Amino acid sequence: MWSINFSNHQAGTSRADSLMLILKGVKSQLTAMPGVRGVAYMGYNTPYSNSMNGTGFEYDGKKYTSMDYQTDDDLRQVLQLEMVKGRWYSEQDAAGKRRAVVINESLEEQIFPLGDALGKELKWGGEQDSRVIVGVVKDIKHEGDYSTPKPGIYQRADTGFYGWTGMMLVRVDPSVDAGFESRVHDRLTSLMKGATIEIGRLPDQLARKNREMAIPLVTAGVVAAFLVINVALGLFGVLWYNINRRRQEIGLRRAIGATAGDVSKQILGETLVLTTIAVLLALFFAVQFPLLHVFGMLPGIYVTGMLLAVLFIYVLVFLCALYPGREAAAIYPAVALHED
Amino acid sequence: MIQLQNIEKVYRTDTVETQALSQINLDVAPGEFLSIMGPSGCGKSTLLNIMGLLDAPSRGEVRIGNETTKKLNDKDLAHFRNRHIGFIFQSYHLINDLRVLDNVELPLLYRKGSAGDRKRLSTEALTKVGLSNRLKHFPTQLSGGQKQRVAIARAIVGKPSIILADEPTGNLDSAMGNEVMDILLHLNKNEGTTIVMVTHDEQMARRTHRLVRLFDGAQVQ
Repeated sequence: MWSINFSNHQAGTSRADSLMLILKGVKSQLTAMPGVRGVAYMGYNTPYSNSMNGTGFEYDGKKYTSMDYQTDDDLRQVLQLEMVKGRWYSEQDAAGKRRAVVINESLEEQIFPLGDALGKELKWGGEQDSRVIVGVVKDIKHEGDYSTPKPGIYQRADTGFYGWTGMMLVRVDPSVDAGFESRVHDRLTSLMKGATIEIGRLPDQLARKNREMAIPLVTAGVVAAFLVINVALGLFGVLWYNINRRRQEIGLRRAIGATAGDVSKQILGETLVLTTIAVLLALFFAVQFPLLHVFGMLPGIYVTGMLLAVLFIYVLVFLCALYPGREAAAIYPAVALHED
Repeated sequence: MIQLQNIEKVYRTDTVETQALSQINLDVAPGEFLSIMGPSGCGKSTLLNIMGLLDAPSRGEVRIGNETTKKLNDKDLAHFRNRHIGFIFQSYHLINDLRVLDNVELPLLYRKGSAGDRKRLSTEALTKVGLSNRLKHFPTQLSGGQKQRVAIARAIVGKPSIILADEPTGNLDSAMGNEVMDILLHLNKNEGTTIVMVTHDEQMARRTHRLVRLFDGAQVQ
């Protein structure tokens, strides 16, 4: 998949309908090239780009906002969007009284939780401008693999759209090479007088987006890992110190009947009891986040996060206490009881 | 009750070999109160550790009752000590973070039994040593004599047949030492407990049934 940006196109006319015809002609020429499987015009907010476009509308007296994708009729085929229900808009919708739009699953879930979006009218700026939902598509992650899909609406391009757009998406055969890219560039340059053509690859843009999303996660992960290692070393040291301080007590316990296993279990048990007290205290503060809706996330995410954190803490503490516990169990009572 | 046959104990390092005990043969009869004397470093405590199964001899055999202890593994030895042997140490070895009653309960924690039983038996043991009014005190709130009495209560709470005391009066003045000695004699006489006591005090040793003297790891009397 390629995204092609064209700018400074000197079409020789400023009339929107003429521009539309010229750009459609360019599209036909491009589509006719062997190796091109499909071409679609859309706004600048192509997938994995840094461009975003939002829109606001009303339904049933309530106001909503969503991502706004202005596209021509072929975007579904080019992006291979999966229809969940209804249909994608087409040439026939040009004759309709109301403009056809397609929404994604996230938006349907938000506005129509019962799943009855088809045929419903959304209103822009009052009663005069209403648009009808003709289909629902699966969400796609426009901002990379690690992003959460956002509610979005796909609107059929009107004539005015061709006056301002400068983006097209092109699906090409996987086998095409750099020479083909050069030929496409030359063809477009010859078809669009004076235009600057930039061809980008969507997989590269996706990889860049993923990197951008991953950098803060990796940074946070490295910081967290550093902190966890520090905590583990600190815990290990404290337990080690504690056992050395209690050598005589441990020697005494061994003398009066504690087995090595009893001593080991005691050290682990004491550590886990202290951990439980600390975890309960920490959970008291942690539950305030979902209760007060601090970050506006679903309570399930907090609960899962807290459970995983508690599990991780217990595993960490268990591992840190295991070796000192074994060392304590190996204390020789005859020696420990005669130490000063 | 305790039979030591040809006991030897050698401590080895890479370069030095130290003979701590050599050719010790000793029988302690049931109900006997035996004291062991000798100069510092002559092997008294080592001998007591071997009798108490806290240490293994390099050679020889230790029998307690009818049991040969050589083949017991670490877990069995721990259980054996818990059931049959009570220990008293010169420096008491009480746990300062635990109350007196909890200190005395310690040996019972390693047996099956209810918390109620543990508390009852510990209270009884503390009553025997005259400390029934100190159950909720901490060791740091007690005098040296009281601490040693707590240690005796801890040694007898599990009703062991043997008590091994390593200089039990060593840290006490003569009055307190006599008090502790009176308790040990009482236990020996009235409850038939076999007691082996290491001491430096000739006077205390003379109050026991028999005295064994060690010198340079060998039995001289």
